[in-house]
Amino acid sequence: MTLVDQNPAPAEAPEPAPASSARPAIRGNPWLPTPRGVWLVTGIELRRRRPTVKGWIFYGLLVAVILGLGILVAMVSPEGLTSIPLEMVLVLVLGAGMLIAPSLAATSINGDSSEGVLAPLQMTRLTAGDLALGKLLSSWLIAFFVLLTIAPLMVYAFVRSGWHGDELAIVLAAILLVVLTSTAIGLAWSSLAARAVASVSLAHLTTGFLLLGTLLTFVFTQPLVSETVTDSSRYVDYEALTDEQRAAYDSWDWSEVDPATLPCTTDTDPWEYGVAHTERTAWIVLANPVVMIGEMSPIVSYETWEEDGRAAPGLFAEMHASVSGWRIGPSEADLAGQQWDECAMLVADVNGEDYYGGSGGDWEAEQEERSTYDRAPWIGLGVQGVLLLGSIWIVVARLRVPYKKLRQGSRVA
Amino acid sequence: MTATDTIVATSAISAHGVARAFGSVQAVADATLEVRPGTVTALIGPNGCGKTTLMLMLAGLLRPDAGEIRVAGADPRHDSAAVRAAIGWMPDQLGSWDNLTCLQTLTLMGRGYRLHKHEARERGVGLLGMVHLSEFADRPTRVLSRGQKQRLSLARALMNDPQVLLLDEPANGLDPRSRIELRTLVRELAADGKAVLVSSHVLAELDEMVDDAIFMSKGRTLGDEAAAKVADAKRRYRVATLDDAALREVLAEGGVPFDDEPSGVVVRVGSEEEAFQALAWLMSRGVKVHRFGPAGSALEQTYMSMEEERR
Ligand SMILES: Nc1ncnc2c1ncn2[C@@H]1O[C@H](COP(=O)(O)OP(=O)(O)OP(=O)(O)O)[C@@H](O)[C@H]1O
Ligand SMILES: [Mg+2]
Repeated sequence: MTLVDQNPAPAEAPEPAPASSARPAIRGNPWLPTPRGVWLVTGIELRRRRPTVKGWIFYGLLVAVILGLGILVAMVSPEGLTSIPLEMVLVLVLGAGMLIAPSLAATSINGDSSEGVLAPLQMTRLTAGDLALGKLLSSWLIAFFVLLTIAPLMVYAFVRSGWHGDELAIVLAAILLVVLTSTAIGLAWSSLAARAVASVSLAHLTTGFLLLGTLLTFVFTQPLVSETVTDSSRYVDYEALTDEQRAAYDSWDWSEVDPATLPCTTDTDPWEYGVAHTERTAWIVLANPVVMIGEMSPIVSYETWEEDGRAAPGLFAEMHASVSGWRIGPSEADLAGQQWDECAMLVADVNGEDYYGGSGGDWEAEQEERSTYDRAPWIGLGVQGVLLLGSIWIVVARLRVPYKKLRQGSRVA
Repeated sequence: MTATDTIVATSAISAHGVARAFGSVQAVADATLEVRPGTVTALIGPNGCGKTTLMLMLAGLLRPDAGEIRVAGADPRHDSAAVRAAIGWMPDQLGSWDNLTCLQTLTLMGRGYRLHKHEARERGVGLLGMVHLSEFADRPTRVLSRGQKQRLSLARALMNDPQVLLLDEPANGLDPRSRIELRTLVRELAADGKAVLVSSHVLAELDEMVDDAIFMSKGRTLGDEAAAKVADAKRRYRVATLDDAALREVLAEGGVPFDDEPSGVVVRVGSEEEAFQALAWLMSRGVKVHRFGPAGSALEQTYMSMEEERR
C-alpha cells in the first residue's frame, strides 16, 4: 500500500478454487470424526504449541540432564536386579502426563472460544468429532513426548528390572490410557465451563478424586462392612498356678513341670473388635487408575522370585499384594477372633516346635497367596473406558453447531 | 411451500420471523430479510440490536428459537454443513492463532475446507496479496496490527470461495485507503454473483457500497417503512446559494416543495436526469447556486430519523 497508488483497488482476487477440489454437495450436519479432519486439527494444535527457541533449549537441557542422570545411576548402582528404578520412572511418566496433558486440554475449548479461533474452524468442513479428537490427540501426544524424553532412562531401568518386554509394553499402554482419559476429562470440562481457570481446576479435581477419593472411600466405608469379632485368646492363669508351677513359669525351667498341665483361662470380659469384609468393597480400590496400572504389572511371587529370574517384589508387586489381600478378605480364623493360645505356645516351645498363632496364619503362605493372586485390572479399565467415551461424547455434543445452548456467560464470537 | 421454493430460487439468504433469546435477553425478536445473489445488503442498527446474533444464525453457528432461514437453498438447522460450505464469515471478533504465520493460517483454513495442500497454499498467497499482507506472509499473526488482523480475517473468510459472504463490521479499524479498497472489493465480489450481507456503523461508507439496507432495532428488522425512508432520503438534494432568500422566493414562485432546514434548503428530485434539469432551471432563474448535491448519506439520514435508543 503506497501513496503512489492513486486509484486504490484491491489486487486481483485469486481464481476460484480449482476443479480438482470441487466440493461435492453435502447434506445434513455430520459430526463423526474423519481421519483427515482429526489429523488436520491435531496438526494445527501441535503447531500452535510449538516451542520457541528458548523452549527447545530448555527441552534439550532437560534431555541432557536425564541422560546424565541415567548414566550416573547406572555407574553407581550395585549389581543385581531391582525393579524400583523402572517403577519410579513409570510413576514419573504417569505423574507428568497427568499434570501436563489435562492442563493443556482443559483450556483448549473455552480458551479458543474466548480467543475467537474456535468458531472460524467450526465454519469449515471440520466436524465436531474432528475437533474433539484432534484436540484430545494433540494434548495427549505432548504427554507422549514426555515419555519419549524419559525413554533412555527407562531403557536402563528396564534392563535391570527383571520385567519382560511385553509386560513393560502393557504397563506403558495402561499408563498412556490413563493419561488419555484424564486428557479427555480435561477437554470435557473445557467444553462445559466458560472460563479456563474453572475448567483446569475441575480437571485436576476429577483426577484427584480418582486417585485419592477412591482410596478414602474405601477406607471410610470399612466400618459399614465390618463384623464384630470377640477376642478368644487363652493364656496361663497365673493366679491359679501352684507354687511349683509358678516357679517353673517364672524361671522358664520346665524340667520338673509338664507345661501341658498348667491351668488355662480366657478373659472374662473379652475384647471386641471389627474385622472388615474388604472383599465386598475392594472394587472401589480397583477403580483407582494407579491400582489398575499396578494390576497390569507382572506378578512377582514372594517365594520364587529368584528362581523366576525376577527382582525382589517392588512397588507395583507390593501394591498388587495389598490389593489382593483386600480382595481375599479376612480368613476364617480372622473372623473367629484372634486365638492366641499361650498354653499351646508353651507346649510347642518346650517341644521345640514352631507355633503359628491362633489365627492359623502361616504368614509366609499368606504373602505368597497374595502376591500371586490373579490380576484384576478389568474394573479399572472399565472405569477408564467409560470416562474416556463419556468425555468424548460430551465434547462432541458441546462442539456441534448450530449451538442450542451456549456456555453460561459466553458468546459464540 | 411453493412460496418458500421461489424464495430459495431467487435469494442467496432469506430469513423469516427469526428469533433468538439468551436467557431473558431477547437478542433477536423478529428478523426478516432477503439477500439476492450479486447484491450487497447492509445490516444497520444501534449497538446491541442483534446484528451479530442474526449473522451467527445465518452462518449456522447458532440455532434460532423460531423462524425459517435458507442460505444457498439449505436450512442451517438441518443442513448446516452445506450452509457452512457456501458461506464466508468474517466475525466481529479478531481472533488468530498467535504462533502461526499468516500464510499458515490461511493454508490450514483452506485444508479445513478440504482443499489440497498446494491449492490451499496458492489460494492463501493470492488472498494475502489481495489484502496487501504479502510481506507478512511468513510472520506470526501476533505481530499484526488491528487493521492488518481485520484484513487477514477477510482473507480467511474468502478461503473457500463462498457464494454468500457475511461480514460483521469489516471496516472496523481499517485505515481510509483500506476502507475504500474494501468497498471496491465488496462490489467486485457482488459483481461475481456473490451475495454479501455487511454490517457496519459507518453509514456514509455503506452508502456507496450497498444496493439495499436492512435496519434493525431492538431485535426487529424494520421492513418497508425503513426502505421507504431510504428511498426518500436518496431523493433529497441540498442547494447552497449565495442568497438563500432569493432561492426560497424562486422555489415558492415555481411551486416547488422544499424543506427549509437550518443547514440550508433541501429539494427532492426523482433521478439524476431530474437533478440536472432542476439545476438548469435554477440557473436559468438566476439563482446563485454554488453547491448542489445529495443531502448527505441516505442511510445516515434514515438512521437518525429512526427514534431508537441504544441499549
Ligand atoms: N451469548 C450471549 N449471552 C447473553 N446475551 C447475549 C449473548 N449474545 C448477545 N447477547 C445480547 O443480545 C443482544 C444483541 O447482541 P449482538 O451482539 O447481536 O448485538 P449487535 O447488534 O451485534 O451489537 P454491536 O453493534 O455492538 O456489535 C445484546 O443485548 C447482547 O447483550
Ligand atoms: Mg455485533
